[in-house]
Amino acid sequence: MDYLDIANSLPMWIAASLAVIVCLCQAILFLRRSWIDGKKVGLTDEQLRAGFRSGAISAVGPAVAILMGMVALLVSLGGAISWMRLSFIGSVMFELMAAGFGTEAVGIELGAPDMNVTAFANAVWTMTLGAVGWLVITGLFTPNMEAIRRKLAGGREALLPVITICAMLGAFAYLSTERILRFDHQTIAWAIGALTMGILLTTARSRNLQWLREWSLGISMFTGMIIASFFM
Amino acid sequence: MSEEVGTTANVFEDEYIPFISRWGMITNLTAAVLSFGPVFVLATVFGVMPTSAAILAGFVSIISVSGAFWIVEPISYFPVLGIPGTYMAFMSGNISNLRLPCAAVAQESAGVEAGTNEGAIISTLGVAASIIVNVIILTIGVILGAALIDALPEGVRAAFDNILPAIFGAIFVQFALAQPKIGVVALVIGGFMTWLLREGYLAFLPGVPSYAVIIVSVFGTIAVGRWMFERGMIRT
Repeated sequence: MDYLDIANSLPMWIAASLAVIVCLCQAILFLRRSWIDGKKVGLTDEQLRAGFRSGAISAVGPAVAILMGMVALLVSLGGAISWMRLSFIGSVMFELMAAGFGTEAVGIELGAPDMNVTAFANAVWTMTLGAVGWLVITGLFTPNMEAIRRKLAGGREALLPVITICAMLGAFAYLSTERILRFDHQTIAWAIGALTMGILLTTARSRNLQWLREWSLGISMFTGMIIASFFM
Repeated sequence: MSEEVGTTANVFEDEYIPFISRWGMITNLTAAVLSFGPVFVLATVFGVMPTSAAILAGFVSIISVSGAFWIVEPISYFPVLGIPGTYMAFMSGNISNLRLPCAAVAQESAGVEAGTNEGAIISTLGVAASIIVNVIILTIGVILGAALIDALPEGVRAAFDNILPAIFGAIFVQFALAQPKIGVVALVIGGFMTWLLREGYLAFLPGVPSYAVIIVSVFGTIAVGRWMFERGMIRT
């Protein structure tokens, strides 16, 4: 029996679906509760809808990019695992690396013609064990992290938003400089994405254009992507 | 007025957060168990079980890369994601390319400030929307199969390599518009750390030391930002 027949079998799809269903259930549970309590803390229906809608609009581009990456996983790991790992926990780069480590541990290269069911199983073991820590640590310690955040603000409520903006800028500076310093089409994509967003948000804020706020990220990411692809 | 502020803060802290923390713990730990579903099926239904030496070898390789991130990432992204966003983002993955950008644009669109109670609630909506959209698109993609995606012109597929840096640039600017001085500080710190990593000056650290770059970028920027705020160099 070819390992891909096992990888794409019904029991594997059922196992993969259970994890994705928990992820969706959590999203829907939190969504519902945020909507109800959002109104109680004084957010309007329009604000809640705008938040949800803009999140959905902006997710399309990245999700299609993830789908492109899923193809790389599909050919060597089959549908069920690829679909599960990218809907839940993983990212393309991480999963490819973990799967590669798993097959190499039994002396086979990921996707090589001699790939067998044992190598496949070890890849899945490695992907599972390599990521389970994120679920366990956030499952157990997330409320404790709030104490760290308050400590960073030194007990001053006014400082909390500053801390958040600093953290966001720090994280995205880390993600950005890794691309900027390549000095290639990725640098151009970064610069065009940044410039477009700057223009769109300044316009949206000064003229109070709500639709433009919601589409700003979607338009910026595609503008950057398309212009940069002329430089590849 | 003060009474009303008190009530809304109570809803957030006494009802919303305890509900989210309880269900976040239950769902994330359930997901941790269910993530073993495929290896369980392989072992029981198909009788396929690698040797424990092979599993251990794979585990040691991957944990040398991801182990530090298990702790560094939740702590570094927490000030942005808040309690509900942290549970959801680490359950669903694809954090920097999907969850954080969607949380940020949701807050901008609703006109709420990041790091406030309202910001936490709105970012939850943005992240939830991104989870639903991502699962729908991947499900359609896996049903249609790789053949359809392979049929796309090479240029279109290659262009998607550029979407990630464009997202990073856009989100960076969204927050730099609010605090331009901190934006410059963050780029200098992040750029310096990335340079150290590239030149091999962080090689003394175990594993793949990009975790050092992220933690210094985030907490270094927080430290400088706080120092500037205390000296009145920036305002909220």
